[in-house]
Amino acid sequence: MKMDDNDAQKQRLKAAIHYTVGYHCQHIASDCEKQITKQTIAAIAETAFRQCDIFAKDLEAFARHAKRHTVTVDDVKLTARRTTALADYIQQKSEELALNNQELKEKRKKTAAKRKSKDMEPEEDNEVED
Amino acid sequence: MESAGNEIVFKKETISKLLTLSFKEDKTKVSSDAVVLVGEMLRVFVEEATRRSVKQAINEDCDTVNIEHFEKILPQLLLDF
Repeated sequence: MKMDDNDAQKQRLKAAIHYTVGYHCQHIASDCEKQITKQTIAAIAETAFRQCDIFAKDLEAFARHAKRHTVTVDDVKLTARRTTALADYIQQKSEELALNNQELKEKRKKTAAKRKSKDMEPEEDNEVED
Repeated sequence: MESAGNEIVFKKETISKLLTLSFKEDKTKVSSDAVVLVGEMLRVFVEEATRRSVKQAINEDCDTVNIEHFEKILPQLLLDF
């Protein structure tokens, strides 16, 4: 029974990927003023789907090698190692993500601090403006 | 930032499920940031596949990108990833 569920889910995911890939391909092709056949889009979608399977197996192997159960950003960076441009791009994206997380953290800290100071008596002025 | 490529994004949930489906062990999980990055990898993959196919079509003086163009660029694409 589980196999059928798995297969059904696989088909749904495949369809979702196909949809997004199709949209993406059309967009790029028309940017370049070209038509693209449905067959080509299907082939690209299928290849992307299979590539994701390869990524997954690599990622799992890297994580296990590092004696972890959770795949992290470092594992993904490893899968991008073959082409310098790709590796640099992924490195850049990971730095953006880290920065984003840092900003979110600080935002939360500020909101929490604000709430705290509201509960206590408002004695001090934090900012003195001339 | 206006970049045609950035508008289309794979949903985090889709990627997460896709990856988990391919994992051999039940215990293996993926961090949230890692999912986002895999999404980026896939996006670049699809974009490269399409743009290289388009280039091939241009080289052959075709208005329509067809599967033969994709087949020709596929080996190098896979090697690059």
